[in-house]
Amino acid sequence: MAEKTYKWVGTRQPRPDGADKVTGRARFGADFDMPGQLVGKVLRSPHAHANIRSIDTSKAEALPGVKAVMTSADMPDMPDEMAPAGEVMVNLRDVTRNVMAREKALYDGHAVAAVAATTEAIARQALALIEVDYEVLPHVIDVDQAVAEGAPILHENLRTKNVDGAEDTLTNVAARIQFTKGDMDSGWSQADVVIEHAFTTKPVHQGYIEPHAAVASTTEDGQVQLWCSTQGQFNVRGYCAKLLGMETSQIRVTPSEIGGGFGGKTVVYGEPLAIKLSQKAGKPVKIVMTREEVFRGSGPTAAGAMDVKLGATKDGRIVAADLNIRMQAGAFPGAPVGPACMCSFACYDIDNINVVGFDVVSNRPKVAAYRAPGSPVAAWGVESAINMLAEKLGMDQLELRIKNAAREGTKTHYGPTFKDIGMAATLDAAKNSPHYQTPLKPGQGRGVAVGFWFNIGMDSSAACHVGEDGTVTLISGSPDIGGSRASLALMAAEELGVDYQKIRPIVADTASIGFNFLTGGSRVTFATGMAVVQAVREAIDELRARAAKLWEVDVEAVIWEDGCAKPAGSNVGDFEPLSLAEIAVNAGKTGGPINGHAQLNAQGAGPGFGAQIYDVSVDQDTGHVTVDRCTVVQDVGTAIHPDYVEGQLQGGVVQGIGWALNEEYIYNDKGQLENTGFLDYRMPVASDLPMIEPIIVEVPNPNHPYGVRGVGEVPIVPPMAAIGNAIAGATGIRMTDLPMSPPKLSAAIDAARVSEAADD
Amino acid sequence: MAKVILTRWLARQFTAGQIEHQVPGLTIRALARELEYRYPGIIKHLEDGVAVAIDGEIYQNAFLEKVEPNSEVAFMPPIEGG
Amino acid sequence: MRYVAPSTLEEASAFLVDANGNGRVLAGGTDLLVQLRAGMANPDTIVDVKHIDELMTIKEEADGIRIGAAVCGQAMGEHAGLNNTWPGLVEATELIGSTQVQGRASAGGNLCNASPAADSVPAMIAAGAMISVYGPDGHRELAVENFATAPGKTNLKEGELITSIKLPKPAEHSGDAYLRMTPRTEMDIAIVGLGVALTLDSEGTVTAARVGLGAVAPTAMLVKEAGDALVGSKLDDEALERAAEACRKACNPINDKRGTIEYRTKIAGVLLKRVAKIAAERAGS
Repeated sequence: MAEKTYKWVGTRQPRPDGADKVTGRARFGADFDMPGQLVGKVLRSPHAHANIRSIDTSKAEALPGVKAVMTSADMPDMPDEMAPAGEVMVNLRDVTRNVMAREKALYDGHAVAAVAATTEAIARQALALIEVDYEVLPHVIDVDQAVAEGAPILHENLRTKNVDGAEDTLTNVAARIQFTKGDMDSGWSQADVVIEHAFTTKPVHQGYIEPHAAVASTTEDGQVQLWCSTQGQFNVRGYCAKLLGMETSQIRVTPSEIGGGFGGKTVVYGEPLAIKLSQKAGKPVKIVMTREEVFRGSGPTAAGAMDVKLGATKDGRIVAADLNIRMQAGAFPGAPVGPACMCSFACYDIDNINVVGFDVVSNRPKVAAYRAPGSPVAAWGVESAINMLAEKLGMDQLELRIKNAAREGTKTHYGPTFKDIGMAATLDAAKNSPHYQTPLKPGQGRGVAVGFWFNIGMDSSAACHVGEDGTVTLISGSPDIGGSRASLALMAAEELGVDYQKIRPIVADTASIGFNFLTGGSRVTFATGMAVVQAVREAIDELRARAAKLWEVDVEAVIWEDGCAKPAGSNVGDFEPLSLAEIAVNAGKTGGPINGHAQLNAQGAGPGFGAQIYDVSVDQDTGHVTVDRCTVVQDVGTAIHPDYVEGQLQGGVVQGIGWALNEEYIYNDKGQLENTGFLDYRMPVASDLPMIEPIIVEVPNPNHPYGVRGVGEVPIVPPMAAIGNAIAGATGIRMTDLPMSPPKLSAAIDAARVSEAADD
Repeated sequence: MAKVILTRWLARQFTAGQIEHQVPGLTIRALARELEYRYPGIIKHLEDGVAVAIDGEIYQNAFLEKVEPNSEVAFMPPIEGG
Repeated sequence: MRYVAPSTLEEASAFLVDANGNGRVLAGGTDLLVQLRAGMANPDTIVDVKHIDELMTIKEEADGIRIGAAVCGQAMGEHAGLNNTWPGLVEATELIGSTQVQGRASAGGNLCNASPAADSVPAMIAAGAMISVYGPDGHRELAVENFATAPGKTNLKEGELITSIKLPKPAEHSGDAYLRMTPRTEMDIAIVGLGVALTLDSEGTVTAARVGLGAVAPTAMLVKEAGDALVGSKLDDEALERAAEACRKACNPINDKRGTIEYRTKIAGVLLKRVAKIAAERAGS
């Protein structure tokens, strides 16, 4: 594909929402208020696992100031089957139970009732007056313990999918999934060197700064307005309609600005409860989670326990790869075990692959998506094992990856054959980076790892409204998390040939634009970008038609260039170019407003590959790891707005460093979560981080008008393994359980010293 | 004829374990109908809740997408993402 | 809930007596406001002491420096005299919270919150700081290490409040230092915090040493045996190991979300060696 030059795409413009955000004017979820609004609060189970024998709300209802109390009895039960809600296939039986417990509380923090009252103090008092009769049951937190025989069973109705003869067996294993390629026996027989090891990760929270917040207002004729912080207002609408037995057209959802989501705001928690409470009270109800509620009640990402086995020839050709991974879904099935299995070996061209995954429930909050869901968990095991293989082969860690990199024509173990992909280009860029070329300082270790994400397309709608002065309103339905308003406006400016500042991109509510699938999967700049380009092109066609009318020529005789209608050739006639503003001001005379619309199911998302390099120092006495240097390399297709591409790369790395070094849920022996705040749930702070150097590789996606692939998911895939590999380089110790926190690493260093002393 | 690749689970359920199939058809819908003719009951698993990769490119909710005579068409679990 | 802002100690004490055990002192509020929001504290009366001059000033006296109990960390950090004489205490104070918290949180508050992991407390213990208390029975003084009695509990009696903290004037060739172990570099709570203050003679031999140790027992404490182990030495490995062992022995921690018994105990020894060396370097310069 020839290098294209653009006027706006690829430039670093101020973001349209920037001024509002830096001045504090932007309205996030908790910033919406309605006259007469009530405070909604949720009562949560203090037990990790308990039957709910009864709930008595009468005392709470009698408390002056309490306007509504609800339990699961106020919502219809749902059938145990997969159904679409906002285009996501979900088991609504599980969703309604996660939003509010029915027969059982399945984790500490599980919602069991909710109240709406005139003040927060009264609402809290009312919660204390609700009497729940629990029968506490044995609980299970750890994924491998949940699989073990005799483990407490969460769901009597659960049977393992895809396993013959499982019909009669009570289990916590919701599904088994397998992908294979080639012939494993033949693969192992070719191997000169074999590595086999077990690895585990911990669930980690997405850690968005803004807690979930929703305000619902209902009217007597059944109409609902909902303002909330979400990655997908249409998905919220879909969920709420199903859970409350309403029609989607009755619910209008307006997304607020969003203070981070990372996948965690793709589902509903307080939203349907706010609607139900509002319906019962006849007043608007606002539910804002506290940080503690976010940790206890909202989804982290899944953790995994896995066994990885790799075989290679002496010269470093990987000939066989096996992964068995058990993923923890939380209280209801739905761990991202499919993507974990598919991503696991996607970076490599290996002839013989066997991957088996299990979706396992345990007494923890139901997991939600988190950047590249599943992929980082598998990469922790696979990319650590790749380095162990390199050590055994005596090969450079990057050379081994280059030698086995997936390329055009590589058939994946999950089916498709790759076309033009950027894995090799990414690895080359990593190898040639200033970082990789710089020798380590004494005591440092260097680690490399790679990562993969599919990127997705899905449904988007967009509209382009040309104002009477020639400025443009660009309307999409994709909440802007990572700077997508800026990137969409850049593509529109490029198409229209007008100044970026003339374009005002907005994020519309569910009643003001057609359906948009949620912001996630690295889809918005790709898919909504495609819709925007199509909508703008439709507006341009209309602009040409209007110029043709003014000039009294055929529309084919008018071209659009540099923001103006121009005659296609000298034979058309002698016309001065007509600017967007000149055409717009005459729109009424030539046929009315000038708009463009587009709706599509964007197909052909281009897979994303990344490689990361870390240098670390380890305090040998305390086990404290300092990340001294980090370079993140990724093929993003085209970087529409390089600042926000770099921001996505750096942000993913930051979250990955936290995942690698400190983040974990700490449960007591009753299964209650103990670290429910950012003080003890240790995400990195700025001083924990080096400058993270981004290297953007651009192998354009041929299926997108500007070559976009997607950027947000891949950067969180490699960090954990890359840091583990760097620690191994610095200490000689291979860590296999996340997080690699100071106490754990210190204990491992001491154990190694003891065994070394014994060897001497 | 397109080369259709099924997931292991579908193959076990419907095709006695056979994963690769040569199937005539110029759209995903046509391929799905032909597979349904051969393996009754399979179509509901090819039309809903799956993604399909046509020559390496992933399509979600694919239905009318065109398929070339020598295309590789792989059915796979749908992808969402964070 | 009543909010009062007296301008004298007498009034403040009277309000606290009045509140009959349900009064809380508000200085920076970085602990109290969090507790209020979390529903962990529900006092009848909040006594804001920031209008009492004595509590808001740092005063250089002939025999040391007196820090008003409500003086914020940032003011301590900007005080030249304090930086020159007790840099370890200043460092410890500046580790508390973020820049915003620094502008509010006070040493008196850090003491009264009585967290075993309070950063400024081991440094104050090492420095030999004395606390001045005012209450219905007038003024009294006590050593910092005798102030907290249990996590969240102090021996302040009803109606009493801290007025100031007095740091002695250090002998010549003295130095102090404080280090803590936290998984994060900032915005974290000490798994172990350790302060050392020591004095050298002209040969570089330690003539006096005090070690304050935090986060490894129900209260921060003076580890006398560790200080004694350093006295008479030039901080050779053997003396440091003896002092480290004394610190490890003094540990009586719990396993909790912030650290394990094993790790806390080990780190107490590691920190002793590191902190003593920094303090000695400062003493020698």
